[in-house]
Amino acid sequence: MQATSQATSQDAENISDQLTDFLQTEFNKYKDSADFVAFKLIKEKTRDYSVRNGKTEDLTEFNDQGLLIEIMISGHMGYGATGELTAEGIKKAFNKARAMTLAASRYGIFKFNKLIRPPVQGTYTSSRKINSDQLSLASIFDYLKKTSLALKKNDQIITAVSDVMLVECVQHYFSSEGTNFHQNFDIIVNALSATASQGKESQTRSLHGGRGNCVQAGAEFFNLDKALADCDEISTQALELLNAENCPAENCDLILSPDQMLLQIHESIGHPLELDRILGDERNFAGWSFVKPEDFGTLQYGSTQMNVVFDPTLVGELASYQFDETGNPAEKKYLIQNGKLVAGLGSLESQARCPISGVASARSSSWNRAPIDRMANINLEAGKLSLNEMISQVERGVMMYANRSWSIDDYRRKFQFGCEYAKLIENGKVTKTLKNPNYRGITVPFWNSLAALTKPDTIGTYGSPYCGKGEPSQIIRVGHSSPYALFKNIEVFGGG
Amino acid sequence: MAVSMGINLKYDLKNYLKLLSNNLFNQLKADEELSLGLHSEESEFVRFSKSKVRQNTSVHQHELTLQFQAEHKFYKSTNMLTLNLAADTKHLQTVVDSIRKNLTLIDENPKYRKMLNNGITEVYKKSQRPTTADVIKKISVQFSDSDLTGLYCAGPIRQASVNSAGQFHYFENDTFFLDFSIYDDARAAKGFYSEEKWMDTQFANLACEIKKILTLLKKPRIKIKPGHYPVYLAPMALAEIIQIFNWRAVSRSAFEQGFAPLKKLHMRESLFSPKFSLTENNELGLNSHFNSSGELSPKNLPIIENGELKNFLINAATAKEYNLISNNADANFEAMRSIDVKPGTLDEKNILSQLGTGLFLTNLHYINWSDPQAARLTGMTRFACFWVENGEIIGPIHDLRFDDTLYNLFGAELVDLTEHVSTFVNTSTYQKRSLGGMRLPGALLKKMNFTL
Repeated sequence: MQATSQATSQDAENISDQLTDFLQTEFNKYKDSADFVAFKLIKEKTRDYSVRNGKTEDLTEFNDQGLLIEIMISGHMGYGATGELTAEGIKKAFNKARAMTLAASRYGIFKFNKLIRPPVQGTYTSSRKINSDQLSLASIFDYLKKTSLALKKNDQIITAVSDVMLVECVQHYFSSEGTNFHQNFDIIVNALSATASQGKESQTRSLHGGRGNCVQAGAEFFNLDKALADCDEISTQALELLNAENCPAENCDLILSPDQMLLQIHESIGHPLELDRILGDERNFAGWSFVKPEDFGTLQYGSTQMNVVFDPTLVGELASYQFDETGNPAEKKYLIQNGKLVAGLGSLESQARCPISGVASARSSSWNRAPIDRMANINLEAGKLSLNEMISQVERGVMMYANRSWSIDDYRRKFQFGCEYAKLIENGKVTKTLKNPNYRGITVPFWNSLAALTKPDTIGTYGSPYCGKGEPSQIIRVGHSSPYALFKNIEVFGGG
Repeated sequence: MAVSMGINLKYDLKNYLKLLSNNLFNQLKADEELSLGLHSEESEFVRFSKSKVRQNTSVHQHELTLQFQAEHKFYKSTNMLTLNLAADTKHLQTVVDSIRKNLTLIDENPKYRKMLNNGITEVYKKSQRPTTADVIKKISVQFSDSDLTGLYCAGPIRQASVNSAGQFHYFENDTFFLDFSIYDDARAAKGFYSEEKWMDTQFANLACEIKKILTLLKKPRIKIKPGHYPVYLAPMALAEIIQIFNWRAVSRSAFEQGFAPLKKLHMRESLFSPKFSLTENNELGLNSHFNSSGELSPKNLPIIENGELKNFLINAATAKEYNLISNNADANFEAMRSIDVKPGTLDEKNILSQLGTGLFLTNLHYINWSDPQAARLTGMTRFACFWVENGEIIGPIHDLRFDDTLYNLFGAELVDLTEHVSTFVNTSTYQKRSLGGMRLPGALLKKMNFTL
């Protein structure tokens, strides 16, 4: 895909500079009007384009821009958000937020101090060679059309969709405590999927499941030759599923590929370790957690092979950053080490409420929502086996690829997940393709059944642009990387 | 930055939109078309945990979606309005100029159709509610003896659809809801309050009712083994299952593209019970009277009637692609916005005795397709769910996972639905507040399959 010579980057920077100057002037009017005041500007452009069966499906963009005002009164933090970026709009938002915060402070859950907003300065920019704003609609459309047509291998492929989401996000935060940081994110999500149909059967295969293929990168991400090879594999497997057997219903070994592990990590490690869930804030919506404060440092969450890190410092993974949205500097930290639970996903606010080791995890979906405890990049570290060595250890088992169904209870114990595609393993060898593979289990026994992990060169790095949580609700981007993982004696089953 | 016009939104947003749209329409060239879709809200969100305020956020958010059309192509661009007319006009004109330039380089869109004037209408609604400061106090005081968690949300939502063919639809509704649950250790009961008028007595009665349910949960929790059990699904539990129809099952485009949970129903190879009827009922007044393209929604559209599939939701693009007739489903997502499930004959007083021995489920959680082609879904029990023996509540249960098909649940296993129906407004607040909702009864089932 060719970058254009449009001078859009420079134009955008000039506009951003003007906006920043304006907001700094406005901030100076209000910075002494409460115990603590901060302004956070979010300016985000999302282009979402898709082509189905070689023809235009959707061409949309979202030019989002707004301001979140943070106000602390008597140890209670309240928020005002506005897209009305005028002097009058900001005045209205500030006054309303201050009045609400004053009223709410009388019934606040906890009296915070200013340590929850550390005075940091810095800049972060996604690793990129070519800014994605240099990609024209025509060049993206050409890429999508070629890949969509490549997916439509024959008439049995009834739906062949290629889509891309390009996000350019600027975040600028400054506070009455002297905080001033600026972060620029360039994000690319590229999805390819083929649905094959024959008689009453219909099966879909995609590149790493839905929109799992997502990274921080610039325009250099696009590689048409590689994408065309992916299209060939995806559509071949979709056709193969039409005549495949259903996954058998039995207890056996289970190998999960990295593009299913992303979901397994997300739902059964990430969410239950969020401290705001453990503290009870999410009980009415996303749910509570089976993890209790006293479990940190004691609970054997999984087998000794299990090492899980929170790491927003990795180059290119979807949820990398230098600071969380309260200015807490991001660092790598073990959440689970040798299977033992050691730290939670708790921001400085949650750590103030509950003395559990936490991380820089206060994040919000945009300027119109307050930061809450979230995942960032949550990764499972590699083991020592090659994939062939792992398969050879399995007498009877199923190897599943790419998530298509997910459900877990509100305490994050009992889960049931389904995948797009599977292989049966008999006597250490892959023997046949299986359709409609599903498995179910209970979080802690499941992770304690982890028997082996593959080597670092097998790690797949994926993510999700759509992690939902919070009241009011927020969608956020998370990254997950993992090797292949072998679990013993798991209940698997098929469709029908 | 320019100075704001200082408009009073309560009275002037409609006029602002007229001025802005005129500025943009006047810049169009011959054979170019433009539509503007507005979503505006001034929301107050108060998040409670342990009956105290965890976070409060006020939001002023005005999104305008432009659809520019030329040469049988179109492109949508959503932009945040500042409410400064000169600045918004300048920015949006730049957006239109950019789209105009870029569209020339790509293929025609087979879904293109000429914009129509679907008329001029206005609808205004307003609930009566105390100030949010007062509501914070009322909730904190009413539940000071409880552990309440949840969200209070209030304020006006405005939607409009305007186009260069002369269409102008405007809808405004000022609403509130409190979506909450109260806890006693791990035991929980769910409550919901949303009315046209906040009434202290009514709210106090609801608080008493929910607290009473929590006392029922004080009995020891019972572990139920996986298996098939008779079930009563209270309206909130049934609502969770009904929502799965909106996850592409009633979309005609999804059906044509191979996602077809209702294929057997469509082919009449299998029918639901004649007791089950599902309607898109826009007369419930829960959503705007037009879709995002400004097409007027049908008052009533039967989806499933007496167990038979009557209609998929079909938008104009799907109608054009597959040579069908549109029923004005939304251009963005073919889904029901205002769901109505027909009540049955079961008297609420007789629910326990009719259930006999089985599970009384008030809420379900995290439902997803487990095999979409078989219309099979899985999910969990949540909040106040009980084991019942011989018509008597024995005690709360440990949560169970179910995995069953719509053909079973609304087919042979459906015994009856309650006479009484409950209405729930849409509480979704992802990115922005949503309109719509559903009205539905409870459902008594012969059996449901529990797996974990």
